[in-house]
Amino acid sequence: MIADDMACNPRNPRPATVFNNANQNIDVYGDDVEVDYRGYEVTVENFIRLLTGRLPPSTPRSKQLLTDEGSNILIYLTGHGGDGFLKFQDSEEVTSQELGDALEQMWQKRRYHEVFFMIDTCQASSMYEKFYSPNILAMASSLIGEDSLSHHVDPAIGVYIIDRYTYYALEFLEDVHLDSAKTMADFLAVCPKRVCISTIGIRTDLFQRDPKKVPITDFFGSIRPVELSSRINISDFKKPTLLLMEE
Amino acid sequence: MMWGFPYFVLVIVSINFHGSLGLKHKDSFHEELFMKPLVSGHVYSYFQFTTIWEIDKGFKDEDFTNSHLFPRPLGEFIKSYDIKEMHISLTEGVWRHKSWGYPITEAGPGAELWVWLKNDTVNIDQKWKDLVNSLSGLLCATLNFMEQANTLAPQMSLRPTGAFSTKEKLDNKNIKYATLPREIVCTENLTPWIKLLPCDNKRGLSTLLNSRDIHNTNYHSLGIDYRHICIDKACTRLGLELKQTVSLVHDLIIVGTYDFNWSIRKLFGNGVAASCSQAETSSVYVDITSNQTGPIFSIFPEPTKVLTSLQGGQKQLIAQYDLKEITKERIFNVYTIHEKPRIISVATQPILYTHRYITGYGQERGGIVTKIHNKHRTPLKIIYLENIPWFIPIYYHTLKITSGDKTITPLIKKYIPGKSRVRPYYLEVAFEVPERSVTTVRIEFDYMFLKWQEYPPDANHGFYLGSAIITALLPTARNYTAIPQTESLIKNSFNVSRDGYLVQIRTEALIVALPTPDFSMPYNVICLACTVVALAFGPLHNIASKRLRLTVIRKRGLLEKAMKGLSVISARFAKKDSKEEGDENKEKVKSNKTDGRVCEIKETKKDK
Repeated sequence: MIADDMACNPRNPRPATVFNNANQNIDVYGDDVEVDYRGYEVTVENFIRLLTGRLPPSTPRSKQLLTDEGSNILIYLTGHGGDGFLKFQDSEEVTSQELGDALEQMWQKRRYHEVFFMIDTCQASSMYEKFYSPNILAMASSLIGEDSLSHHVDPAIGVYIIDRYTYYALEFLEDVHLDSAKTMADFLAVCPKRVCISTIGIRTDLFQRDPKKVPITDFFGSIRPVELSSRINISDFKKPTLLLMEE
Repeated sequence: MMWGFPYFVLVIVSINFHGSLGLKHKDSFHEELFMKPLVSGHVYSYFQFTTIWEIDKGFKDEDFTNSHLFPRPLGEFIKSYDIKEMHISLTEGVWRHKSWGYPITEAGPGAELWVWLKNDTVNIDQKWKDLVNSLSGLLCATLNFMEQANTLAPQMSLRPTGAFSTKEKLDNKNIKYATLPREIVCTENLTPWIKLLPCDNKRGLSTLLNSRDIHNTNYHSLGIDYRHICIDKACTRLGLELKQTVSLVHDLIIVGTYDFNWSIRKLFGNGVAASCSQAETSSVYVDITSNQTGPIFSIFPEPTKVLTSLQGGQKQLIAQYDLKEITKERIFNVYTIHEKPRIISVATQPILYTHRYITGYGQERGGIVTKIHNKHRTPLKIIYLENIPWFIPIYYHTLKITSGDKTITPLIKKYIPGKSRVRPYYLEVAFEVPERSVTTVRIEFDYMFLKWQEYPPDANHGFYLGSAIITALLPTARNYTAIPQTESLIKNSFNVSRDGYLVQIRTEALIVALPTPDFSMPYNVICLACTVVALAFGPLHNIASKRLRLTVIRKRGLLEKAMKGLSVISARFAKKDSKEEGDENKEKVKSNKTDGRVCEIKETKKDK
């Protein structure tokens, strides 16, 4: 979900790119990005509908979560927020209570196995305080009463370009590969107060496992294992297929 | 175009061929790139990836479950929504006809979609709704905002371009046309678009489509066009044609070549290492006509062939490169070298071009003006299609078509008034534009307020009005590049003279600044109203609930004085005064009826 067109906005001096820092090290927009919800589609209603799966019948598959009780979900939110809310589109907000209820609904509908919830906004930890569903690990960029601060300014476009928490999280994740031995506990310690300036909030009471034992690939950069077999057992296929081929 | 083959015969044959067709695909894929240095100092690049699939006579419908080169996701989509013909374009920027001439495919700013559904389609409105939703997922665009309220069924302008059976009656309920002029076009649209190609962006001309380089242009447009075609002239063999196109206009100064010597490597970041192995044709065409008319440049490497194209009295020189041959030896790259510092000359203006703008001031009434320039020596008949959203109510009686002092009477006028939140205003007018003239089409509208929730989050940005379409048959091919309707490939578009050259010019999109309420107004109103009420209430309440009365102060007796003296001593000094006054008041009220010697004005509560 991207509400703004930072990459292709005419005011972007480097079209179709979004960089992590002013030195343009990492193009986070990439060459093969896909965006499912963009522009005016990014609303609180659509977000909650996406989570809970209560979508209109004509919604295409790419705009559905399509998860079940075996799915691990990563939710990352960033934007302007305050105590108990996060702004959407400069015109509406999602509150922590709404989010907590949506996650509970997901749990009851067996739409997830585990959720890792990340949020980067001012007073971010207020957003996960109302959660009451099991198997949620939550991380916030700042505690209640604190601001989340940005990292540095890009003089070419004259604005602050990345938040401190996101900057260090990205730096950490760039080194995560399929065979990484890192755990979620490593990730939770990604932005200590001396670099983040704000205090990272962590909530583990709903989470059943010990973050020290959860591999980071449970939530990041994982690809489902594909089994290659050299032999195909033809009787595994449905009969009608065979019949059609014989004809 | 037609096919006169009865359907029922085909159905019977289909049973026998059904199984074998999956193995024997009569399809071909062609990748072509047409490049043209424009007089204005820009370079126009047009990529066309064409898949032609000859459908067996055995098919009643196209069967997309067994596709070979045809992208299956699109095939399934076409099948499930009964699509006969479809044209999608996602465009950023405006094509400037006056200085750039005519492009090979026209596209309005933002997203544009027009679809002809099959004749036997039922429940068309629901189909359209599902179709745009499905397409929005396929192309990562917000096409699902194409609702019934901004969809039109033009009766004259957007006729099918492909083969239609003579038995099929063209029913206007089967066409759907909608635009989203504000749609952003970015990498996320290019990614799924490229995935539809047989070679992805791994090999062939599609390796040139890097998102950074193609978005760093003055104009870029992605297109998908699907239609039925005749494979042979007599139309006994039928086929499906899928064209995926990219139109780009590079500004050489933005690219960083100040001497106007451009090359494929400079424009796209890399050359072509290999042609797509699935492609039957893999060619690059560079229009070098301007070498004779404009500043002289040399083109390297030596072209495989130089074609001379004569059509409509215009001579074109085309350098053709066969990628299949060239890439065997080296990475393909075309570059030009200008002998002298380049001078930008004035473009030979095309025959027909337009300009559109908003008139009026204030926040009550406005007008839309479209100027149509005809530079030709003969009058031209044109069709003007206007698609105006429901929130810009136009007045049909204010429609005025003038050329100088002369009023032009339209030949045909079609108008369906819009309805708030239900349908847009549809206006289609056919008229004749006099020779060597500027014709003005003018219509007035009202600014209106929307409902509070209908304003977008950035309402002050303004509301977009999609482009109008102007359709004409040009008598000459000056500045004309489009491929004839009967042909599919660029290689077949040379040396084809016709009676007329069809153009469908898209005008500029407009922004209308509808009166936007101040959204902090309710808050301000509450604050202001409360202040006013609070300030007014106090005095008004006092006036309304208290009245002025005359009271008489009675002289105290000796005993009373003594008692008062005692109370004064016992009370604290500060409180003394008020208490005394209070006592006095009580006494005054009490003494009101007794004595009348000293009078004092005193407020008392009204006793109701």
